[in-house]
Order: sequence, then C-alpha cells, then structure tokens
Amino acid sequence: MLQVGLTHFLIVSTALFSLGIYGVVTRKNAVMVLMGIELMLNSANINFIAFARYGNFGNGGQLVALFVIVLAAAEAAIALAIVLNIYKTFTNVNVDEIDNLKE
Amino acid sequence: MNIYDLIFYLFAIITLVSAVFVVTSKNIVHSAFNLLFTFFGVAGIYALLGADFIAVVQLLVYVGGILILLLFGVMLTNKITNVDLRTGTIHIVPAAIGVGMLWGALSAIAYKTNWIKIDSPIPNSTAPFLGRMLITDYVLVFELLGILLLIALIGAASIARREKE
Amino acid sequence: MDFISLFASLKFIKPEITISITLLLVVIFDIIFNENKKIVWLITLFGVFIALIFTSLNLLVEGYAFSPVDGSHNFGLLTLDSFGSFFKVIVLVSTLLILYFSNNSNEIINTGKRQGEYYALMLGMLLGMLFMTSASDLIMVYLSMELLSLSSYVLAGFLKLRDRDSEASLKYLLYGAVSSAFMLFGISLIYGLTGTTNLYLINLYLQAPQINYIPFALASIMIFAGIGFKISSAPFHFWTPDVYEGAPVAITAFLSVASKAAGFALFIRLLKTGFVLRSNEQGMWILSDIFDWHSLLIFVSILTMTLGNFSALWQNNLKRMLAYSSIAHAGYMLLGVAVLSSQGVVAVLIYFFFYMLMNIGAFFVVSIIADKYNSEDIHGYDSLGYKNPWLAAAFSIFLISLTGLPPTAGFIGKLYIFIALVDSNMIAVAVIALLNTVVSLYYYIRVMKHMYLVKPAENTETFSTSPSNLVYLILLSASVLLLGIYFSPVVNLAKQCVGILGL
Repeated sequence: MLQVGLTHFLIVSTALFSLGIYGVVTRKNAVMVLMGIELMLNSANINFIAFARYGNFGNGGQLVALFVIVLAAAEAAIALAIVLNIYKTFTNVNVDEIDNLKE
Repeated sequence: MNIYDLIFYLFAIITLVSAVFVVTSKNIVHSAFNLLFTFFGVAGIYALLGADFIAVVQLLVYVGGILILLLFGVMLTNKITNVDLRTGTIHIVPAAIGVGMLWGALSAIAYKTNWIKIDSPIPNSTAPFLGRMLITDYVLVFELLGILLLIALIGAASIARREKE
Repeated sequence: MDFISLFASLKFIKPEITISITLLLVVIFDIIFNENKKIVWLITLFGVFIALIFTSLNLLVEGYAFSPVDGSHNFGLLTLDSFGSFFKVIVLVSTLLILYFSNNSNEIINTGKRQGEYYALMLGMLLGMLFMTSASDLIMVYLSMELLSLSSYVLAGFLKLRDRDSEASLKYLLYGAVSSAFMLFGISLIYGLTGTTNLYLINLYLQAPQINYIPFALASIMIFAGIGFKISSAPFHFWTPDVYEGAPVAITAFLSVASKAAGFALFIRLLKTGFVLRSNEQGMWILSDIFDWHSLLIFVSILTMTLGNFSALWQNNLKRMLAYSSIAHAGYMLLGVAVLSSQGVVAVLIYFFFYMLMNIGAFFVVSIIADKYNSEDIHGYDSLGYKNPWLAAAFSIFLISLTGLPPTAGFIGKLYIFIALVDSNMIAVAVIALLNTVVSLYYYIRVMKHMYLVKPAENTETFSTSPSNLVYLILLSASVLLLGIYFSPVVNLAKQCVGILGL
C-alpha cells in the first residue's frame, strides 16, 4: 500500500482537481476563480504524465502536458486582460456582482 | 518504504496542503503565494514521474509567468492601500460536501479501474525525444500554438489597452 | 529522418495555411495603414474567399494528414473527408457573410482603429474552427477548441467601453475555461484507459470487450461538457443568453452559426470515429457499450430545445430571444445526431446549411434596427411593416423559416430531422420536437405582430435601408425562400458528403 504507484499519483491529481472545482464554485473574486482553473489544468497534466509513465505510452503524454502549459499561459494572459477591463468598468471583480445581463 | 516514496509523500503533501490554502484563504495575496507552493509541488511530482523537462517548464512558465501574471491581476484589481484584500466566498458548506463526494468518487474510480500498466524503467533525459516529436509528429500542434500565442497577444493587448476617451 | 509524409500532409491544409497567412498579413497591414482600415477588411475578405475556393476544390478529397513519421500507424492529427469539408464550407461562407455584416454594423465601425485587431481575432476564430472540423486526435480537438475560445472571449467583449460587453466576455471566459478544464481531464482519463489520444486508435482499442465502464462513462461525460458548452446544449447553455446579448451583433451571429457548426462537426466526428464500432445494414451505428450515448443525447436534446423555447417566450430583447432560439435549434440538431445513423447526420448537415442563412439574416435585421434606434427592444420593431416594408418582409421570412413553416428552407431542415427520427422508430421524441416547434411559433409570431399589427403613430417617419444592405438581405431571404422549394441541390450535396465517408 505504501509502495508508491500509479494510484497514488492519481489520488493526488483527483484531489487537486476537486480542490480546483471547490475554488471555482466558492470564490467570488474572478482572479480566485482563475486560480481554481489553473489547479484543474495542473491535475489533468499530472494524469497525462503519470499514465504515460506507468503505462509506458511513450513521450506523448509529456508533450500534451507541455502543450497544456503553453495554453494555460495564453489563457491566463487573456483572462487577466478581461478582468482588468472589468475592474475599470465595474470597479470590482466579484463574479456575483457583475450581473447586469438578466431579465 | 524507500527514499522515492518519501519524496513522493513530501511533494504530495506540499501540493495538496498549499492547494487547500489557495482555495480557502480569505486573503487573496496569501492564496496567490500558496499557489507558488502548489505549482512547485506539482513540478516535483513531474520530476518523480521522470518528466524532467516538463518539471523545468512548469517552474519557468507557471511560477515565473502565470503566477506573476495572477499577482499583477490581484494588485491591479484591488485597492491595496486603503481596502483590505479579503474576498468573499459563497455557499461553502454545500460546495465542500459536493466536492468531497466528487473526490471520493474520482479516487474510488482511480483505485478500482484497471489502468494499463507496463513495467518500465524511469527514462533518463526526455528533452531530446520531446524536441524531436515537436518537429515531426506534432509539428502541426507546435505551429498552431504559435498562432494561438499570437492571438492571445493581440487579444490581451486589445482588451487591456487604455483608450483615449 | 523522413519528412516526406509531413510535406505530403501540407496539401490537405491549404485553406488553413491561407487563413494563417491572411492573419499575418492583417497584422502587418494593420500597422502600415494605421488610418484606413478598409484595406485590412479587403485582405481578410480576399483570404477567406481563397480559402473557400481551396475547400470547394477539395470537397471530395479524403486522407489522413500529419500521421507519425515513424509509420507506426497511418492515422494522423487531422482527417480530411467530405463531411468535414461540408462544415468547412459552412464555416467559410458564414465568415464571408459576417465580414460584410461587420463592415456595415455601426458597433464595429465605431471602434475605429481597433478594427484591425477585430479582423485578426476573427481570423483566429476561423482557423480554430477549420481545425475543429477535421481534427481526429483529442489533443488537436482540445487545442483547436481553445484557439476558437480564446479569440471569441476577446471578441465577445470587443466593445470594451460598454458594460454589457465586458460582462459578456468575463462570463464567457470563466464558464468556458471551466468547461474546457473538465474536457481536458476527460481526455486525460481516455488517454490513461486506451494509451492514445488518436480517435482511430481509441476505436481500435474499443473493438475489444471492455471492463472499465465507469471511467469511460465519466470521461465521455466530461468531454461532452466541453463540446456541449460550444454548441450551447443544456445543461451547459446558461452562458448563451448573456454572452449573445452582450456581444456585438456581428459576433453574436458568428458565434451562433459558425462556432456552433464547428462544435457539431467536432462532436459528430468524435462520436463516429471514436465510439462507433460498425454500421448495420440500415446504416444505423452500433456503438461500443462502454457508454450509452443514445439515451444521453435524446435526454439532452429534448432538455435543450424545451428550455430554449420556453425561455424565449418572455424575452423582450430581440438578441436575447434569438439567443434562446439558437439554443432550441441546437436541440433539434442534437436530435439529428441522437438518431445515430448516417441519415441523421445528413439531416444535421441540411439543417445547418439552412440555419446559417436564416440566422445570419435575422441577426442582420436586428443589427440594422439596433444601429437606428440604439436598442434591441421589441418595441423598436413596432409598425416596422409601415416604416420600412422591405426590412419587415425580409425579417418575416427569416422568422417564419426559423419557426420551420413551409415554404421556407427552415421547414425542409426540420422535415429531414423528423423523417430521420421516424425512420429509426423514435416517434415519441419526434412528437415532443413537434410540440416544441408549436411553442416556438408563439415568440416568432409575436415579433411579426409588433411589426405589422401595431398601428403607426400619426407622424411616423419611414426610413430606408442602404442599397447594398438591401441587396444582402434580398439575397439571403430569397435563398431561404428558394431553397424551401428547390432544395434538392443541398440535400444531394449533403448525402454525397456523408456517403463518401462511408458512414
């Protein structure tokens, strides 16, 4: 049981994923929601690398993780730009208060 | 229990404990700093899995880039000098129960499933193989990511730039 | 090392290469011609047109592109076939229509020098969509979807000085990023279970009997969360009304047609290539028993169309109403997929072709009225039939077609979906869809009531539409009417495109 194997890595990644979801649903600040999303992406990356390592799938899994890291950087840049713009307009970045578009 | 296992538990604990602080800390700056340890712990886990290059990239891009970006976001969207940086949370209890159940289900799946397992030694350096794959099998993805970064650059500049009123 | 297979792959992605070059030219010319943005617009138009020509010329070409250079298998990152090319044509034609639209919408013109960025981002979206229609590797699927998403997050909030645009863009970003994170986690599970991300290899793996039902089901649901978000199917539709209302009208029209088309193309390919083991004699697909896609799709599509139609009933903002109506249309199209046969896919292709024409037309009228009265409220349409008969007539044709009444193209689209449903013995589902259509009649007719039955005030001014806009509207509405009567070319093309795939 204590011998570290694939399951151990998967349990860490699923815990990280669940914590990411927790951050997304409970935090009001948009920047905090983004941090939760980063946690979710990281957990998927651990999955890819762990599966590739223990299933001997070659380097494909690591390459996917690399692509996801690049993508996360691009997404963070766009997200922060949008959040800054929201702050200029609404002077706060709380997701529940930015709610003009409702009937 | 050998040294590999000990290091794994160390990194796993660093990752998960700091991640808990990230999502529960009331102070957003504390969250951002805890995120540093989470990313660091994840990089350690990558290294344990034999993904040395990815671990370095994780440190460079996540810690050096994305985290700094998020911190800028925190600084620029909160009036640091006069207003406290506390941020609110909503429906914690139902979320905690729901997420706890989700984790239970996910880890049960991870434990029960017959994943493909083939014994193989931890590879030495992976960077040459990754580099070769980037310019052969996955060259299209590589180029596509180039365009994606260009689009991110244009988009971010277009949105964040101040307009002359 | 042998690069021949990579060079051979280049001939399959000519439209994508064209769009990438156009994107770079737009960025360069945007800097050179700082004052006159007409040139940037013309370059974009020209580039998209060339890409459309390449796609039409290669409509029936098929093959795998970017397969591994070591030759371990033939399947590549992309699969070229007529099914994907049909969707590429839809995406490119709608881009051309939206380009004209953008150039005649005050919202976009008033952004002045930022128009260069607008067209660059639009080309980014287009490139993402083109790759989505032919991606046959889950990594390619994920990244092309993200390229589309990142550009559309920015475009949804392009008029950043307007509150509702910023809000739309923030909501789109947060919901979109979460759903794509779910999708990525689902892809990672599939990778762990099968050891590959290539859809064809996943299919080969699934041909053997499986024991891991639960993780496969979980991964399928997570991947559907990502795609369902893009095609705005319930329960991932909640962003749609807010984003559609907040975004500039041209982008709303583009999102509702092109991005949805790319999402459907991606979804059908994922389902067909990844999960269908074989087809039986009647052309029905036999799916791997690891996940019951059939029940999920029927449930989701009925939920989607019902939610969309009933929420549309109370909307006074036309853009919001059309947003809910586009959710309902996604529900009808998902029913076509839920049939799980090549007949159903043919029906979806036909439906999409007509949906593109009528939906862009309807949004163009909304844009003209919004430019005139600066609002999209339904009262802006009061007695439009007297003020501008041409505009009102064109809008009525689009609305009737969206309802699905003869003699318009929308009727033919719905008819083929219903025939596919009845042929596969899903009568109860067809009846529910039919009842939904009756509900939708109410809110479409309500707009027409405002246009024709509200008596004009004493001193109502008439106003006219510019000749080029009128030609554009007549072209769209005439083709909606004409294709409602003479629809066999589209039907034959759709059948040919699906037939060659051997679905």
